[in-house]
Amino acid sequence: MILTALALSATAFSKGYAGIFTFSLVINGIMATSYDIPGRSLDFVSLGHAVFFGLGAYIFGIAVSKGFSFFPAFALSMLLSSAAAGVVILLTAGLSHGYYSLATLGILIIFQRLFETMEGISGGSAGIYIPEPISNFQCALLAAFLLLATAVGHAVFSCSRWGFFSMETKADEQAAEVIGIPTRKLKVLCLMTGAVPACMAGILYLARTSHVSPVSGFSLTLSITALLGSRIVPIKGVLGPVLGSLVITAAEEIIWTKFEGFNLAWFGLILLGAALYQGLNFRELKKE
Amino acid sequence: MIQVLISGLFLGGVYALLAVGLSLAFGIMGVLNLAHGSLAVLAAILYKKSLVFYSFSPWTFCILATPLFLGIGFLLHFFIAAPFRNLSPPSATVASLIASLGVALILEDLFVWWQGWEPISTYIDFPTIQLLGLKIPGMRAALLGMAAVTISVCIFFMKKTDPGRSMRALAQDKETASLYGINPGITALSAMGLAAILAGVAGVFYSALYPLSPREGIDLTLKALFIVVAGGMGNLRGPAVAGCALGFIESFTGLLFTYTSTDIVVYSLLVSYLVLKRGRRRQ
Repeated sequence: MILTALALSATAFSKGYAGIFTFSLVINGIMATSYDIPGRSLDFVSLGHAVFFGLGAYIFGIAVSKGFSFFPAFALSMLLSSAAAGVVILLTAGLSHGYYSLATLGILIIFQRLFETMEGISGGSAGIYIPEPISNFQCALLAAFLLLATAVGHAVFSCSRWGFFSMETKADEQAAEVIGIPTRKLKVLCLMTGAVPACMAGILYLARTSHVSPVSGFSLTLSITALLGSRIVPIKGVLGPVLGSLVITAAEEIIWTKFEGFNLAWFGLILLGAALYQGLNFRELKKE
Repeated sequence: MIQVLISGLFLGGVYALLAVGLSLAFGIMGVLNLAHGSLAVLAAILYKKSLVFYSFSPWTFCILATPLFLGIGFLLHFFIAAPFRNLSPPSATVASLIASLGVALILEDLFVWWQGWEPISTYIDFPTIQLLGLKIPGMRAALLGMAAVTISVCIFFMKKTDPGRSMRALAQDKETASLYGINPGITALSAMGLAAILAGVAGVFYSALYPLSPREGIDLTLKALFIVVAGGMGNLRGPAVAGCALGFIESFTGLLFTYTSTDIVVYSLLVSYLVLKRGRRRQ
């Protein structure tokens, strides 16, 4: 019901401030839900989820600026960004938890600097500006549809045998391998299921805002927003990240409007609070 | 070419200093402290502010600021290490990573608010040394010497003193170390204090060599992490050597390409190294 309400509100408010707010809410919802697939199933903490978002946005922007119309550009960028995401995932899927987080943060910075350097293709630090390829209403409709599809993908993955495999792997990877679970294949599949919606969210973001830069596309803040959205509401299933993104988008809105200049500090406080809550919560469990 | 090599050696010395502290915190507590570089930036800002009142040399300031950074390290311990000591090692590492990222973000905004966007530079003019036809800036040579002395003292402390031995014992086996009467809480607290002091020293030295942006903390930490991963987590000699290697790589890349290309090369090396050598669960 919450998802349908979110999807409906995104299409109903496609103009003005309400339109911008609901659109960012839906984009944050897609990012948090897609993050949650590997995040909750395998306990992977990625600090570079925005890499997929940025790849989708940039490839779409380059395709549109080369003269492609919306749908061919959408299909092409989805294909290419998913392929690029696949390469990134194949490289990092074998890493253990702390190293995985570090590698994803490193990859995020590499892409940011790479797109700053390639001025001829990506517009350098200023980024890419494209003409509006579709109307705001169509964009909101597609975003709402993508959110629903990501949520369905999340639910299907969790209920499938791969979801159960991931629970086993999270509990004890070596034991999972002993009982015949293909852990590497599982990780790649799980990470890809999370990466593709993020690539598509990047495409829709550019279609709505008409501008992307290395800082806004490959943004650490966006990665942190997805991480927080996925973790802040301790409810299992699709509802956790959806409600989490609702909380985070509202918090983000307040932070950006009321605490100008201290945006990162507030995100930092939320991150610190979330980590401490996790630590304290565990202690309570131990006492019981 | 030789001038670039020397420049790389100076930069590498400072990186090594930063990495040694990070390695200490990881080796003993399993904490991947992303706020480590922000402590270096804090030290640079404090040094710059202190120069308004009195023209301390970098080393005098480092000695005077030691108790302050020890205290900051203790405080940091209560936020990014102590709350997670009961979690399993991988969960504790990830939780400390998230918490320290939070601290780093808070500090970055506070630094910009306090210092502004202006880069922090505390360069003091020092006579140039002429050696075998090469011009070596006196300040850089002195700082390299100081960095080498600090790392040597740190290695001596870890190997030859009782608190250092306790830290190494805790890093090897927490439970056995506790059975021998080592207090894990106090030892971990001391290690965090020592790591913060080293970060402070590195920050003061760095700002005396190159301008440091108030938002460069996370960047510095990641470079230090590259050194720690390449040199081996938990030991001190490896990061010292890897720090010098990174200094050379940066100097050469800076000579051949642009500043952004330097970052691309450094981070690509970090990721490649992680993927190829470290972090494989089976290893």
